[in-house]
Amino acid sequence: MAAGVRVVLLLGVCIALLGLVTACGSVQTLSAGPLTSGAGTAGTLTETGSTLLFPLMRTWAAAYHRQFPTVSISTAATGSGAGIAGASAGTADIGTSDAFLSSGDLVNNRTLLNIPLVISAQVVGYNIPGLGAGDHIKLDGGVLARIYQGTITRWNDPAIAGLNPGVHLPDLAVVPLRRSDSSGDTFLFSSYLSTQDPAWNAAIGYGTTVAWPPVQPELAEKGNSGMVSGCEATPGCVAYVGISYLSQALAGGLGEAELATAGGQFVLPTATAIRAAVSSFVSATPPNETISMIDGPAAGGYPIVNYEYAIVSKAQRSSAMAQAIRAFLHWAITTGNTGSYLDPVRFQPLSAAVAVLAGEQIARIR
Amino acid sequence: MKTRLTANTPRTLQTLMVLLVVLSVAWGALGGWAIGRHASAASGVAGAGERLNRDAQGIYQSISDADVTATTTFLSGPQPPLASLQRFQTDVAMAAAGLSRLREAAGADQQLVSALSALAAGLPVYTGYVAQAQSDSALGYPLTGGSFMQVASEEAHLVLLPAARTIYARENAALAGQIGEATGLPSMIAILVLAVIIGILLLRTQRWLTRVTHRVFNYGLVVGSAALVVSVVWLAVAFTVARTDLVRGNDHGSRPATILAHASIDVQQARGDEILNLISRSGDASFKQNFESVRDQLGPGPGTLLASAAAASGPQAAQVMAAADDAPGWYASNEQVYRLDLASAYAAETNLVIGSGPGSSAAGFAKLESDIGRAISGDLGTFQTDATAGSDAFGPLEGVVIVTALLMALGSAWGLSRRIAEYR
Repeated sequence: MAAGVRVVLLLGVCIALLGLVTACGSVQTLSAGPLTSGAGTAGTLTETGSTLLFPLMRTWAAAYHRQFPTVSISTAATGSGAGIAGASAGTADIGTSDAFLSSGDLVNNRTLLNIPLVISAQVVGYNIPGLGAGDHIKLDGGVLARIYQGTITRWNDPAIAGLNPGVHLPDLAVVPLRRSDSSGDTFLFSSYLSTQDPAWNAAIGYGTTVAWPPVQPELAEKGNSGMVSGCEATPGCVAYVGISYLSQALAGGLGEAELATAGGQFVLPTATAIRAAVSSFVSATPPNETISMIDGPAAGGYPIVNYEYAIVSKAQRSSAMAQAIRAFLHWAITTGNTGSYLDPVRFQPLSAAVAVLAGEQIARIR
Repeated sequence: MKTRLTANTPRTLQTLMVLLVVLSVAWGALGGWAIGRHASAASGVAGAGERLNRDAQGIYQSISDADVTATTTFLSGPQPPLASLQRFQTDVAMAAAGLSRLREAAGADQQLVSALSALAAGLPVYTGYVAQAQSDSALGYPLTGGSFMQVASEEAHLVLLPAARTIYARENAALAGQIGEATGLPSMIAILVLAVIIGILLLRTQRWLTRVTHRVFNYGLVVGSAALVVSVVWLAVAFTVARTDLVRGNDHGSRPATILAHASIDVQQARGDEILNLISRSGDASFKQNFESVRDQLGPGPGTLLASAAAASGPQAAQVMAAADDAPGWYASNEQVYRLDLASAYAAETNLVIGSGPGSSAAGFAKLESDIGRAISGDLGTFQTDATAGSDAFGPLEGVVIVTALLMALGSAWGLSRRIAEYR
C-alpha cells in the first residue's frame, strides 16, 4: 500500500475514533448520574410555580406520562414565588421559577439547586384600540419606568411619541398593569427597568415583589393568564407578560411592543433576538447556573430574556424519588427541549454548554 | 541477733541500693518527661498555639469582612471607592496569609486538614466571582454583575465561612488542649508520689543503717536526700507559679477572648445575613430569625456572651461593657432593616444597610465590631503576658530534676556500696 494511502487511512481512523470519543463524551456528560431514564420509575411528582412555564410544563407532563405511564406529574401555575417556597418547604417535588434562587434562599436551604430547563423572554403588551395590527409601539426602559411611576399618563405623551415617529398615538390614559402575586415576571420586568432607569433603580429596585409607586387607576392581576385577560379588558393598558402567553395575547387583540436594547435598537422577542441575547452569556454561566441576562451586550439581542428554572432539593426523601426527578428533568432538557414542545410556547432550547451544566446539576439529586 | 543481721545485711544493703538507684533514675526519667511535656505545652500555648488560634479567628473575620465589603461596594454603584476595593484586597490577602501559616502548622487533625483544603480551594473561586461581578458592573451590566456577586456571596456563606468556622473551632480546641496539658495535675501528682516514696525509703534506710552501724550519717544517702528535697521544692514552686500564671491567663485572657470571638463571629454573621437579605430579590428568604437569635445570645443581659465575657475579663471589662452599650443601637437599626425589607422598600433598606451616616446599620456594626475587636486584643494581650510568664516559670526545671535524680542515684550507690564493702 502506498505511503500516502496509509497516511490517509490512518488519518481517517483517527478522525473516526475522535468523533466516537467526542460523541461518547457528550452523551456521557448529558446522562451524567445514575439512571436518568424514566424507564423503571414510578409514582407522582408534584410541580408548582411559574405561570410562564406552566403551558410548557403541562404539555411536558402529559407527554412524559404517555412515554412512561407509571409516572404522573401534577402541575400548578402558582407563580415563581410559590414555586421557590414550595421547593424550599418540601411541599412540591419540583418548584419552577422565572428567577434564579436568591442567595438568601440558598443559604437558608443549602440543598436547593436551580436548574435551567428552557430559555424564555418577556413581552410588553398593550391595548391601544385603533392601532394597526402590524404596528409595534416602540418602548424603552426609561419610558416604561415613568409609566409605572405614574409620571407618563397618556399614550400621546411626547416621550412615547418621540420613540414612535409617524405612529398616531391616541389621547388615551395609560393603565399600567402589574402582578399582584410574588412573581418571576415582576423580577424580570423590574430588573429591566432598573438597568434602564437610575431613578427606578434607586427608588424601587427589582424583585419578585416590589413596592410599586402609587398610580391611578391601580390595577393588578394574578398570574400571566390574569395579566393577559386583565389587559384585554382594559383599553389603554400596558402589561408585562411571559412569552408563552404571547399567542394568547395577540389572539385577544393586544399589541406587542418593540423594546430598546442597550445599543439603542428596538427589537421584538423573535427566536433570533432571544438566542442572540442569551448567547453572550453562555460561556460565563457559573456551575450553579445563577445568572441574570437582562439587557445584555449582544447586538440585536432582546433585552428581557431568562432561564426558566426548576428548583429542586438535591437531598430527596428516597432514592426512588430522586431517580424519578432526575429522569424527568433529564428528559425535559433533552427530549423536551425540541421544537415540537417549545415552538407552540415560543421558548428556545438551552445551548449545549448550559445543558451540560444542567445535566451535572441533575446528577447531584440523590 | 547480731549474727543474723550480719548474715543478711549485705543482701539487704544490695537490695536497697538497687532499689534506690532504680527509683532515682525512674524519678529523673518520669519527672523529666512530665516536666518536658508541661513546659513544651506551656511554650506552645504562649507561642504557636495562641498565634494559630488568632490566625484562625482572623481568617473568619477577613472572609466575612471581604464578603460584606465586596457586596456593599458593589451595591454602592459602578464607581466603587478605592478605599473599599483596597479593604477587600487586604481582607483576601490576610485570609490567604493566615491560611498559609495554618496549613504549614497543620498536624494530623483530619477535620482541620480538610477544612483548610476546602478554604484553599474555595478562596480563588470566590475572588474570581467577585472579579467577574466587578467587571460586568464596570462594563455596564449591573444585573449580570449582581448575579455573580450573589454567586460569590453563596460561595462565601456555603463554603468559605463554614470552613473558616471549623478551622477556628479546631485550633481553639487544640489551644484548650495545650492549656489543659500545661496545667494538668495527674502527671505532677504521680511524680510527687514517687518522690515521697523515694524520700520515705531514703529516710528509713538511713535510720536502719544508724541502728545497724551506729553511725549517725551516711553521707551518700544524705546527698541523695538533699538532692531530692531540692528538686521537689524547685518543682513544686516552679509548677505552682507556672500553673497559676497559665490558669490566670486562661481564665482572664483566653476564655473571655474566646467568648468574644464567638460574639464577633455572631455579629459578623448577622451583618452578613443583613447583606444577603438585601441582595436576595427573589423568593422570600428572611434572616430575621437568625438575627433575633444572635441578639439573644449576644446580649447584654444575664447569661449572654457579652455578660460572660465582661465577668471573665480582667482589665478589658470596660471595653466589653462599651460593646454591650453599643449593641442595642445596632439591634434597633437591624429591626428597622427587616421592617423595610418586609415592605419591599429596597431603596430605604439599602441606604440603612450600607449608608455610613449615624444610625445606619453599617455604622452601628462598625462600632460594635471595633469594641469587641479591641476587647479581644486586650484579652489576648493579658493571656500572652501570663502564658509567657507561666512558660518561663518552668525555666531549668527539667534539667534540675534530671541532675538531682542522678545525684540521688550516685549518692545512694556510693553511700551503700561503702557499707557493703565493710562486710567483705
